[in-house]
Amino acid sequence: MRMKKKAKHYFLLTLRIGLGLVFVYAGILKIRDPVAFAGSVAAYKLLPYSINYLVAATLPWVELACGLFLIVGYKVRASAGIIAAMNILFIVLLASTIMRGLDIDCGCFRQGGEKTSAWVAILRDILFLAVALILFTERKERKFSSW
Amino acid sequence: MKVTNKKLLIEMTAIILLAVAIGITWNHRLLWDVYTGKHSGTATTPEITAAPTTSLLPAGLAQVKDLFDKKEAIFVDAREKSVFSQGHIQGATSLPPATIITDLQGFTEKVPYDATLVLYCSGYGCRDSKDLGNILLQKGYRQILIFDGGYPEWKDAGFPIEGANQ
Repeated sequence: MRMKKKAKHYFLLTLRIGLGLVFVYAGILKIRDPVAFAGSVAAYKLLPYSINYLVAATLPWVELACGLFLIVGYKVRASAGIIAAMNILFIVLLASTIMRGLDIDCGCFRQGGEKTSAWVAILRDILFLAVALILFTERKERKFSSW
Repeated sequence: MKVTNKKLLIEMTAIILLAVAIGITWNHRLLWDVYTGKHSGTATTPEITAAPTTSLLPAGLAQVKDLFDKKEAIFVDAREKSVFSQGHIQGATSLPPATIITDLQGFTEKVPYDATLVLYCSGYGCRDSKDLGNILLQKGYRQILIFDGGYPEWKDAGFPIEGANQ
């Protein structure tokens, strides 16, 4: 029983820090080149010109903040909730590019370079969503858990 | 339970607002440039009066058309030469990043360093104009606008083009 609890503890700890690192990485790459990220946002052809830049200027910071909070274990449930909501939004947006026949790079991590297909990006986001939801629900009964 | 959810919602909102505030502060110059002068939707297109910068500036359709009409900018096509020859913005110079080593000297001899350059490629999602822009910044050009909509947006708007398939 104790072994099982310990295994779960390390499992959740790995998920939390792993997801945190992914979002810190994604955020920093975009923060370094907001103009390129604005181009990626604009490629979705959903927002007015200037709003693409507003999204590019702010979204990476939300990713970075949530990632950092997950790594340090502060406000884990709120951060996981935001990441889950963002991933649901990303999945919907990526699905819309497939439906509209847009052959674009998802702009998820590094801007430019080789394209990541929308299907691959959706599968990746589903994985992130699942991890975020696990963290969100598991944290429910705890105030400040050890993981 | 309700209190917990409310608290959670407040925490989530606080994290988002904090991150957005930092993002806006961090990028205030870029956002200001977009808002004041480079917004394609603005009714009146402001002149480029900003001091030369060391970063690429975004430019919308209305602004680049204004520069085109007033002949105040040099249009540079960053797409491959074969694509360029099929159709490009009237008067544009071809300078794909892939052949920059051979073409750059001729370009710098022809185009002064204080010229305003409008770089474009195949529209949103295309990186060539930004790659080229970064190279030209390194070479000393200081007034570089990136026309995100590129050739497709220009052509769709019915503005002057030239080339084999126009």
